[in-house]
Amino acid sequence: MPEILALALTVLLVVLTAAYARRFGIGKEISLAGTRALIQVLILASIILLLFKLPIYWSALVLIAMAAIAGHTTYSRSGKLEGSLPPAIFSIASASALLLVPFFLLGIFPFEPRYVVPTGSILIGNAMNVSSLAIDRYRGEIKNRRAEVEAYLALGANPELAVSACLKQGILSSLIPSIDNMKNLGLVWIPGVMTGMLLSGADPIEAASIQIVIFAAIVAAGFIASSLLLHYSTDSFFTKAAQLREDLD
Amino acid sequence: MNVHLELKNVSKAILRKVNNTRVKIQILSNLDLQVQKGELVTVMGASGSGKTTLLRLINRLSEIDSGIILLNGKDIRDYDPMELRRKVGMVFQVPVVFKGSVRDNLAFGMRLWGDDMDLEALALEAAIPGNLLDADAGQLSVGEKQRVCIARALANRPEVLLLDEPTSSLDAVSAEKVETLLLRLGRERNLTMLWVTHEREQALRISGRILTLKDGRLEEYHA
Ligand SMILES: Nc1ncnc2c1ncn2[C@@H]1O[C@H](COP(=O)(O)OP(=O)(O)OP(=O)(O)O)[C@@H](O)[C@H]1O
Ligand SMILES: [Mg+2]
Repeated sequence: MPEILALALTVLLVVLTAAYARRFGIGKEISLAGTRALIQVLILASIILLLFKLPIYWSALVLIAMAAIAGHTTYSRSGKLEGSLPPAIFSIASASALLLVPFFLLGIFPFEPRYVVPTGSILIGNAMNVSSLAIDRYRGEIKNRRAEVEAYLALGANPELAVSACLKQGILSSLIPSIDNMKNLGLVWIPGVMTGMLLSGADPIEAASIQIVIFAAIVAAGFIASSLLLHYSTDSFFTKAAQLREDLD
Repeated sequence: MNVHLELKNVSKAILRKVNNTRVKIQILSNLDLQVQKGELVTVMGASGSGKTTLLRLINRLSEIDSGIILLNGKDIRDYDPMELRRKVGMVFQVPVVFKGSVRDNLAFGMRLWGDDMDLEALALEAAIPGNLLDADAGQLSVGEKQRVCIARALANRPEVLLLDEPTSSLDAVSAEKVETLLLRLGRERNLTMLWVTHEREQALRISGRILTLKDGRLEEYHA
């Protein structure tokens, strides 16, 4: 029964770490976080177990719900910019869906909940991270470069043109972690998918090729999601009369 | 009488953040102003009296709370904002040049509006030496940057020019150069100019109609 042993080891590790952490005054936090993680992951496992038995459109619904939560997280990261919740959800959902489809069209994975849900959630989670970084930076750039943006506006430029340098910077900086990860893939870490497949007995070459295609999809989804989001949220920084809004902080 | 720009009963308040709450502060209240075509009006006023705020309302970088602003007799809210800003150019207190060369900066309006223009002649007119045209704009001196900003604004062929203390970030020598330049350009192009300055000497030298902004309204200046 490796699963019982694994859970027992988890509990033991959480208790021991928490006991040791009390010396640093973070014992309570660690035991709380550990307990939460344990419960959440068990709930997740039960949901996935349930999904395996339900028709596949239930999986799609779960992924849509995930994208909505992801969109809301990114929206909060944007400083709850007015009108940017729908673009956030839309960008993350559509970019993830776009990159999810080829896996099943090409037959890389069978079209079953077992494959759809985890692959979809990896794409959504990463698209969310990249979009959050992008919108946070975009907003920061616009705020800090207010004088430049208004200089453009004052010459009759439209908002898109006035913030195009900020947008570029937002996208660029959001992709830096993905690019660095891609460069170091296999050098400093064995990535999650590959680790999981190796542990469950897959052939290393198969594990590596699945890992790399997922990685490429992650980067592409992040790129598309952040580009869409920044493009569609530009209007949120301006009034109808193409004035840069004053309440950006 | 040929009224070019008219402000009637214009009020503007701003929200200032104080201890995380926003406090409303009235900057302009029931302000009136009439400017004739080709006229030069100087606006003086203490720091913080709302001079910059006033100019920003005229090219609609900010919105008035009440009242009306007319350009050529037409409410500025009835213009397309981009079109309005092309007609009403602005030179800021601190010059901002865009990435790229001086030439790129000057060509901005031309590209935007699909216009054709002799950039060398424009540079010459704005006292920008020809050998600076292909220099990186970011590395210019502040005075040179301000001249680039003026030329860039003129490339739009504006009718009105809003000048927000255009010489305040310059040393005396370059300030005088820019001042003469603006006066000459204004005359040659028959521009309607609203020139904000906090220097009394400059206002007197410019010798247009001098107004002071005080308690949210404009008053005639008496020496
Ligand atoms: N975005 C803003 N947020 C908060 N306060 C502002 C904002 N813009 C202007 N103010 C305030 O409004 C007042 C008028 O500002 P404005 O910049 O128009 O003054 P000014 O006459 O141009 O001053 P100066 O001569 O120093 O340039 C000032 O008290 C300023 O602090
Ligand atoms: Mg000012």
